[in-house]
Amino acid sequence: MGDLLANLALGFGTVLQVVPVEVPGLGPVPLPMNVVLCFVGCLVGTLIGVLPGVGPVATIAMLLPITFKFDPTGALIMLAGIYYGAQYGGSTTAILVNIPGEATSVVTTLDGHQMARQGRAGVALGIAAIGSFVAGCVATVVIAALGAPLTRLALVFGPAEYFSLMVMGLVFAVVLARGSILKAVAMILLGILLSTVGADLETGQERMTFGQSFLSDGIDFAVLAMGLFGIAEILRNLDHTEARDVVRQAIGRLLPGRDDLRQSGLPILRGTAIGAVLGILPGNGAVLGPFASYTLEKRLARDPSRFGTGAIEGVAGPESANNAGAQTSFIPLLTLGIPPNAVMALMVGAMTIHGIVPGPQVMTKNAGLFWGMIASMWVGNVMLLIINLPLIGLWVRLLKVPYRLMFPAILLLCCVGIYSINAMPTDILFIGLFGAVGYALIRLDFEPAPLLLGFVLGKLMEENLRRALIISRGEMSTFVERPISAGLLLVAVVLLVVALLPTIRRSRDEVFVE
Amino acid sequence: MPARSDTHARGPIRGPRSVAGGLLLVGLAALALYLTRDLSQGTLRSMGPGMVPRMLAIGLGLSGLVLVGVGLVRAGHPLERFSLRGPVVILLAIATFALTIRPFPLGGITTPGLGLLGAGPLTVVIGGFASPEGRLRENLVLGLGLTACAMLLFGDLLNLPIPMFPEAYAALFPDGWSQDGRLRVTAGLLAGVAVALLLVGPRRSEARIGVAGQSRGA
Repeated sequence: MGDLLANLALGFGTVLQVVPVEVPGLGPVPLPMNVVLCFVGCLVGTLIGVLPGVGPVATIAMLLPITFKFDPTGALIMLAGIYYGAQYGGSTTAILVNIPGEATSVVTTLDGHQMARQGRAGVALGIAAIGSFVAGCVATVVIAALGAPLTRLALVFGPAEYFSLMVMGLVFAVVLARGSILKAVAMILLGILLSTVGADLETGQERMTFGQSFLSDGIDFAVLAMGLFGIAEILRNLDHTEARDVVRQAIGRLLPGRDDLRQSGLPILRGTAIGAVLGILPGNGAVLGPFASYTLEKRLARDPSRFGTGAIEGVAGPESANNAGAQTSFIPLLTLGIPPNAVMALMVGAMTIHGIVPGPQVMTKNAGLFWGMIASMWVGNVMLLIINLPLIGLWVRLLKVPYRLMFPAILLLCCVGIYSINAMPTDILFIGLFGAVGYALIRLDFEPAPLLLGFVLGKLMEENLRRALIISRGEMSTFVERPISAGLLLVAVVLLVVALLPTIRRSRDEVFVE
Repeated sequence: MPARSDTHARGPIRGPRSVAGGLLLVGLAALALYLTRDLSQGTLRSMGPGMVPRMLAIGLGLSGLVLVGVGLVRAGHPLERFSLRGPVVILLAIATFALTIRPFPLGGITTPGLGLLGAGPLTVVIGGFASPEGRLRENLVLGLGLTACAMLLFGDLLNLPIPMFPEAYAALFPDGWSQDGRLRVTAGLLAGVAVALLLVGPRRSEARIGVAGQSRGA
């Protein structure tokens, strides 16, 4: 407990640190630089994330370059801010326009948009912000409490355990993916296959590079993510004729009344608990949080028929789960060095650019960065509460901009953003290629999300697989003989079998249809 | 791409979308197997560079075959008609940006490096036509405005290593000017032209939205 407080104190000390900044005309002015960065991150994250069809992954990939200028701690705090901003921007779009920015805000459209149509958009956005804030506070403490013990756990993990853990993560992703399980498996295989492009990690031999030197370092994750989630999304949106249903009703007051708060109090707490637990799981468990919370609230409600017609619990619970999951999904990354989803993979990219190797050693070697980032999560949540609510009018106006003016801006931002990461024109050509591939995959009912996760984990998986087999002298049985590894694989198998059972499959489909 | 209006296709292929998806996977798997043909497989004890990619490709190909099989047996979704306009124009715009942002050797010739000053408006003007509602003047206003914002944001504020304008253009300024000064003046000029274009042309109701579109980039 004392440790926890000391660590949090270190974190908040880092975030609130005041440094003299050279301001033109004024000379050095002491500013809490990290707070400023967190604020700017939240603001631009929301600004981009609120655009329909731009989810957190594309937002972070686009905005990654703007963090290059700052020191590692500042850059990661800003990126975390961008992430929360993008998340909240997605919820705003879900409530006001009925377009979910990403999978986790799908549920919010159900009751959130109905509330908006009844002239209660302000209350819906307000309760979403308050729920997110509560969830954020709890999740910050959870991360701080679990960080140290899980890091110790990581030290007993060998290559076999790492490999099995990632297999379990990917099985999770398959189970959680919408639509056909076979297609999700194929996408994960394709993702891992793409990750093997480039020089072999042991022999240095070129693999599948077409003899091109720019491919020998492999495919850049930001390029793949921006193609699949930025460009492909533009192409998909261009197919639909513009029918954006921006709420015409008044936004109404923002602060929920006493009745609203009483109704949403328990759902917020339950959503937070569900989201926080699911977020820790590797394989993007955070996606499941809002669905689980919505289903639970509907079951517990005295009058379930209210759900879908603007029940405030249907916004409060899932939004809290969403935010709690978004934060606790940092845990696998910060403690084990395994990114559980695409957003965290971008964080890995950002850390690598700043010379930090994610994993258990971050906490000991860069204690200030580690705890600073955790403290910044809480600060980021406060920021969201402060900036988003007053700026709702601005977001509404932004959402009324027709798509034909919006997508060229997104396009330019993608091009400039990706060029400034590596200064390679071939990267720009590749976002076009991956955009076209992603679009084709979407048209053929494949989901790009598992592909990206496979790509994220692919390199680590191959590395650990090869290492584990060298240690065991080629015996595959090492994966089932080591107890932790065997346990993880067992969970994976059970999950897969359960997901394939006909009855579960049907209810799984129902959850996603809902 | 064949267009079918009925939801369930007739003929031997009962789920065309599944078959097409399966064939795509088989194709990708075949490509990967072809590309890794010279890499050594190694043994489990000491894996060669070829083993993991090859196993993945085989797995991918098998899933593709199963999908094809499913599509032949079980009724599924038809292939939908879609317009090629969006993908073609967007890809063209992206390629334009890639080839003009800095000199790019392409076969025997080298493309001119126009910097953001040239590549930005070109990309937006071309890309804007991906939507059937795209209009030249509107795209131009948007392109110039967005480029001005991008210059100030990425060049002036963040100092990212993006070529801003061609050298011939930079030489137009008197020698004493700093890079930032040139940048700010250029951005100002671009924004000025954008506003002028906006004011000169016939007034449409959308004209005001064009302004909102610009300020968004900042």
